[in-house]
Amino acid sequence: MYEVKLNSITKYFGRNSLAVDNLSVTFSSGEFVCLLGPSGCGKTTTLRMIAGLESPDNGEIHYGNQIFFSSKNGEYLKTEKRNLGLMFQSYALWPHMTVFQNIVFGLIMKKKSVKEKEDRYKELEKLFHLEGLRDRYPSELSGGQQQRVALARMLAVKPSLLLLDEPLSNLDSNLRLEMRAELKRLHQALGSTIIFVTHDQMEAMTLATSIAVMNKGIIEQLAKPMDIYRTPKSLFVAKFVGSPPMNVIQVENGGEIVECLVRTTKLTKNNIKTLGVRPESIRMVSVDEGEIEAIVETIQPTGADWIVGLIVSGKSVFAISSEQPTANVGQKVGLSFKLEGLHVFDDKDQSIKYM
Amino acid sequence: MDSLKLIEKPSFGVRIRIKFSKLFSRPSLVIGSFLVIILTYLVLAPIVSILSNSIRLTRMDAILSGGKFGDFTYKYIDRVFFSSISENIFWTPLLNSLTVSFFATLIALILGLILASLVTSTNILGRKYLGFLLIIPYMLPSQAIATAWITMFKNRKVSGPLGMLEAFGINPPDWLAYGPLPIAICMALSYFPFAFLLFSNALNKIDIQLEEVATTLGAKTIAVWSKIIMPLLIPTTMSVLLLTVARTLGTFATPYILGTPAKYTLLSTSLYSSVRSNESGVVAVLAIVLSFIGIMLLLVDISVVKKWQRFVTVGGKGIKRPPSKLGVFRVPTTIFAWIIFFVAAFGPFIVLALSTLMREPGNFALSNFGFAYWTGIDVPGMDQPGIFTSPEVIIALRNSFLIAGSAAIICGILGLIVGYAVVRLPGSFISAYLRQVSFLPYLMPGLAFAAAFLSLFAVSRGPIPALYGSLSLLILVMVVTYLPYASRSGISAMMQVGPEPEEAGMVLGAGFWRRTVSILAPLQKSALVVAIILPFITGMKELSLVVMLVTPGTELLTTQSIRFLDFGYTQLANATILIIGVVVMISVLVLNRVTKTNLATGLGG
Repeated sequence: MYEVKLNSITKYFGRNSLAVDNLSVTFSSGEFVCLLGPSGCGKTTTLRMIAGLESPDNGEIHYGNQIFFSSKNGEYLKTEKRNLGLMFQSYALWPHMTVFQNIVFGLIMKKKSVKEKEDRYKELEKLFHLEGLRDRYPSELSGGQQQRVALARMLAVKPSLLLLDEPLSNLDSNLRLEMRAELKRLHQALGSTIIFVTHDQMEAMTLATSIAVMNKGIIEQLAKPMDIYRTPKSLFVAKFVGSPPMNVIQVENGGEIVECLVRTTKLTKNNIKTLGVRPESIRMVSVDEGEIEAIVETIQPTGADWIVGLIVSGKSVFAISSEQPTANVGQKVGLSFKLEGLHVFDDKDQSIKYM
Repeated sequence: MDSLKLIEKPSFGVRIRIKFSKLFSRPSLVIGSFLVIILTYLVLAPIVSILSNSIRLTRMDAILSGGKFGDFTYKYIDRVFFSSISENIFWTPLLNSLTVSFFATLIALILGLILASLVTSTNILGRKYLGFLLIIPYMLPSQAIATAWITMFKNRKVSGPLGMLEAFGINPPDWLAYGPLPIAICMALSYFPFAFLLFSNALNKIDIQLEEVATTLGAKTIAVWSKIIMPLLIPTTMSVLLLTVARTLGTFATPYILGTPAKYTLLSTSLYSSVRSNESGVVAVLAIVLSFIGIMLLLVDISVVKKWQRFVTVGGKGIKRPPSKLGVFRVPTTIFAWIIFFVAAFGPFIVLALSTLMREPGNFALSNFGFAYWTGIDVPGMDQPGIFTSPEVIIALRNSFLIAGSAAIICGILGLIVGYAVVRLPGSFISAYLRQVSFLPYLMPGLAFAAAFLSLFAVSRGPIPALYGSLSLLILVMVVTYLPYASRSGISAMMQVGPEPEEAGMVLGAGFWRRTVSILAPLQKSALVVAIILPFITGMKELSLVVMLVTPGTELLTTQSIRFLDFGYTQLANATILIIGVVVMISVLVLNRVTKTNLATGLGG
């Protein structure tokens, strides 16, 4: 178990498209790191560079004291020699090999004996509930089974670093929930370092021990999931994490709600460009009790909560409430704001601390 | 972000080292560069060579006119377009070609459209079989129908055995036996299956829901066809038109067999006679004109297809159109479809077979039947051995298998390698270059490309010896001509597999060779088999591409049948064509077994 260290990694595709921009970051050993970001933010490219499937135009990648890549002295360790586990979104099971052949492929590459292969296969078969599937071909498996075979194939050679590229996005929602639990259990049992790429913030929040939010080829913030949620360093992170997303209000020409929110933070308006309010920080009260008046526009029950669309000083915001709202659509309510969940950003979209 | 410390751009030496260590694990760059060199020589060099031949003095003309070999000259351009013989070698053939192509295309288009509609959308009797049977003429060697025609309709204008009708005492007039009418009909019969295929595919692709919506809005079947289906078929119609014209212009066998006796020359036969009379300058100009027309037609087709892309409807649920009931028309339409099959596919086969089995044409007495022309024993009035004993046929058979076989194997493998390089080097110059250059031969008619090949390989250049008269020249020209299909299917096969299976192997420690052997090769196995059998079939029946490149000793079955015809040995020619037909049909059956699909899709390209 070692730490993964990227130093000033830069990667261009073609001449003008910058995929990863001077990225320096260290992922500690034993962590479950999620690279989270929208498509095209460079997260998969970063993962593929760690795997050696792409190489950076510049910079260094270290794994413990092994040098995976260095543009300083021209080191490049071939993917085949990096000894890591990688799982693709498509699973990339070989359609012409049976479950058994797929899983023991890595062991054959390591020239293991027949007995070792059998023993390891039996272990994995039990661990991933693959009993009876040994001679099936991938096309004869369900989505969940394919997923487990891909996991087993990756783990057969006991890699200490696992790279996962959106492995859950092809599953239906129930199965995804199950596999999330499975992955979490696996991480606890193996203790290996896992780097996991996803664009699904819910997945990142529930799985990771730390999240790296990426945007336009850089990491905007690397922190524990709850820290990402509670103290986002930038407007981008604040907007990307959370569902329904944070309400964002421009200070300029913001009207009464801006005055009201700025008053709550006890800051002056001068340096603030944008305000952000988490939906759960908006409380709906009676008109008299509220600091500001709003009109209910929509009510969406989700089962556990109610997502309420509100119009306040001409702007739409969403609030989330665990109790059924007393007002109906079209009626007036009063709003008050909780201080946590209220964020302010400067003209560079960076967070301003105020508490 | 923490302190940003920019590492300087790595030095040149360092970059080279990284590149090198990557090359060993992923040699697609090496393979790609190698292919660039090969394809440049095999595809671009012949084209450059023929372009330069059209404006440079040949050795012979240099001696005659006192100029220097290789000097710039307008002579050949002048001879083809403006001289007193231009009428004979270019203008009249051009007019003839256009006339014949127009009528052949028109007939093929109408036949194709009607038959495709009947087979895909009505309850015509035997529709299941017709779908396959109507494609058979497309698989026959191109001279089969023309040879059958002449066996049937020939008159005393040409020597040799009697035509079948002659034998019955009917003397077919010249206009029915030779010239534009039979050429147009035979070409239409050879090419309508192509229209049939394209229309069938298009009809099957139209989302049935588009029609159902019209029906719910009150449209009757007639209205659905005229307002919905026909307009949706416009792009396909354009494609069929342009591609069929392009194909008919490049066809050699039919005009050679049916036009020559009436001195009715087309561009393709004019080009051929210039080759025979060694006028390489004129050949170059004619080949360029032929290619120019071909390229224009195909480019228009490509742009039409692009422009009408918005018409492409992604099939909804893949539900087949329920066959509409033809009512009283069921019997007549069924008879019509089966007659077309009989005339275009079964008829020629019967005519050819009968002619080889009957000692005297037209005499249906049982005693007149026998295998004389096959065994060579007791042949009336012929100084030739039979098919089975003829040394020419045996050599041609061997050559055909050797040439078509080697070309097919090389082509199949090369296509996959091109696919590999194109797909694995995305966005690179090599990828774009290979994609474009490997597609180029598709644009040129075979006859013109053969002329270009001839101009390059007729003499030795640098380390490459003169290949004229060798089997390797024929193999090479086939490989290059079929490369567009092979590389396209190679590219799509590689695309389908994607890089992930290979990368998954890489991560688990498999090197390049291991990945190729255990992952890539098994995944591409069936693609490879198809990529070999398809060019083999095309190669077995290829004529226009090789007719000007063969020499005594390198004859193929197809060219040998033309030789037999030239000498008036009709029965031997027919028997040779039957042999080709049998080999092709067996290959098609093998192909069907391998792919487990209708071959229609494979030949449609």
